[in-house]
Amino acid sequence: MKIFVKHTWLFTKRSLLNTIRNPFAFIPNMVISLFFLFVYQAGLSGISKLPAFGGASYLAFILPVSIVSGAIGGAGGAGQSLITDLENGYFSRLLLTPASRLAIVLGPIIAGMLQLLVQTMLIMLIGFMMGLKVVTGFGGVVVVLLLAVGWGLAFAGYSVGFALRTKNAQAAQAGTFIFFPLLFLSTTFVPYDLIEAEWLKVAAFINPTTYVFEGMRAVMINGWGESAIWQAFIVIVLFCIATISFAAISARNAVSRG
Amino acid sequence: MKSMIHVENLVKTFKGNVQAVRGVSFSVEEGEFFAFLGPNGAGKSTTIQMITTLLKPTSGRAEIAGFDVMNEPEQIRRVIGVALQETGIDPQLTGRELLEIQGKLFGFQSSVARKRADELLELVGLTEDAHRKCGKYSGGMRRRLDLALTLVQRPKVLFLDEPTTGLDPYNRKLIWEEIRSLNKEQGTTIFLTTQYLEEADELADRISIINEGKIVASGTQENLKASIGADVIDLVFSTEEEARRASALLARFEGEVKQSGSELRLFVEKGPAKLPEIIRQLDQEFITPITLNVSPPSLDDVFLNLTGHTIQAEKLKREESHV
Ligand SMILES: Nc1ncnc2c1ncn2[C@@H]1O[C@H](COP(=O)(O)OP(=O)(O)OP(=O)(O)O)[C@@H](O)[C@H]1O
Ligand SMILES: [Mg+2]
Repeated sequence: MKIFVKHTWLFTKRSLLNTIRNPFAFIPNMVISLFFLFVYQAGLSGISKLPAFGGASYLAFILPVSIVSGAIGGAGGAGQSLITDLENGYFSRLLLTPASRLAIVLGPIIAGMLQLLVQTMLIMLIGFMMGLKVVTGFGGVVVVLLLAVGWGLAFAGYSVGFALRTKNAQAAQAGTFIFFPLLFLSTTFVPYDLIEAEWLKVAAFINPTTYVFEGMRAVMINGWGESAIWQAFIVIVLFCIATISFAAISARNAVSRG
Repeated sequence: MKSMIHVENLVKTFKGNVQAVRGVSFSVEEGEFFAFLGPNGAGKSTTIQMITTLLKPTSGRAEIAGFDVMNEPEQIRRVIGVALQETGIDPQLTGRELLEIQGKLFGFQSSVARKRADELLELVGLTEDAHRKCGKYSGGMRRRLDLALTLVQRPKVLFLDEPTTGLDPYNRKLIWEEIRSLNKEQGTTIFLTTQYLEEADELADRISIINEGKIVASGTQENLKASIGADVIDLVFSTEEEARRASALLARFEGEVKQSGSELRLFVEKGPAKLPEIIRQLDQEFITPITLNVSPPSLDDVFLNLTGHTIQAEKLKREESHV
């Protein structure tokens, strides 16, 4: 067990080193999520005067979109880095050491979560500088961070599973496109009641991201009493169970000597 | 002496009924230097991957140091060092970082891992470049680093899959010297695959020739060459016409005559003793060779004899069929 923790930490450090040395792997993603924040806030904040918003600030409403889109980078990076290892042969070298297979896969995931955490804090900091108010205070900020990491973990499970299954950079890249429906077929720009098309309402209802958005918004705008908060946690736990199992099964197949 | 590597009837059939390895058996003694010689696609890498726990055999058995590949892979990973055909390095890390990580994965304390990294960097001549990202290394440097990574835990058995393919003579010699001294001085058992006859000839104690997934001959270089039972006489003439006439003339010697262009190759027993007679025959017809050379058979001749084509021709054939 001690050895397992040691190895996992070693692999995590290695992944973090890779991230820092290769800033172009995370900077564009960070820029895009800040772009969402600035542009939608600048362009759409007027609509928060509609009664459906209940007087909420649009900044607090759009911030979760920026956070979730930023989280994709850290989470997707985990799968990406495994693909790179498979392609340059380092994965085989690691398989030939006594290291646990789980540790090999866990390293990049943990590194991705740490990256995501830093990114989310940065986005929130910028949010505060733009005048963001969180009614639940510090506890609410922690909840937002937890939801971001939870959502990221679920997406990391998906990206790692997909990477190990396809073993191909292009295919894995294509796999991250699920990010578009996940992010936009939801209550991305307006509350559920304002969504016009019936099909989009259905999509938003099924999409787990919706519950993450709503949970984050509830805690920032409305306060602790909202059911959306615990709903978000339940959805994330279920989503994580599904994708992490997918990753674990793919890892077993990829690693179990073909 | 006990068997360090023991392989029985190993078979690998890939999807689509690709029979990469079709029943391979061999044993390597402790401290022995054993080479697998074969052309592209012969099944060398597939065999190595099966016996080093990376690939599940379709059928058959393999043991290393008494451990079973299927049931005791963890124990095996502690005694072997493997340099696969493709180097296994993370290009974002430096040579030193990779070596230290490798040491820690095998349970070394940080300080021990650092010291071991120093030793190995020195050994493969990369001390100067230790702090550079290895993505920036040349092909030869990368190979040397890969070899160093393989040696971190001081393996008892070393598997090297075509360690010198594509290297310049300087880097090839470096790697040869390194693995030879590991074998001779440290007593490391070595299993090496190669497409180069000189490499197998130069380094190995014993060779198996593998072709199309099967071992077609095994033995020491001397055994293998003796199995041909003939010397090789090479003659070059000034014209193809002359070579053809000479070929007709010399066909009466028992043995084989092979003509290609203006060159003739004779396989005859006791070659040197037959030389005066050959010269006399040619002289009577006023044919004079430009060059004449008598040699004992080479491994290339062994391969030619066993498979009907030279290893070079086999290589070309494969490369063409892959295009
Ligand atoms: N993963 C795979 N799936 C399907 N066929 C494979 C796979 N790996 C190897 N083969 C096939 O198995 C055969 C043996 O391949 P192998 O790589 O073992 O040869 P080799 O002797 O190492 O050749 P080389 O000298 O080119 O490295 C080849 O025909 C190859 O195309
Ligand atoms: Mg090979």
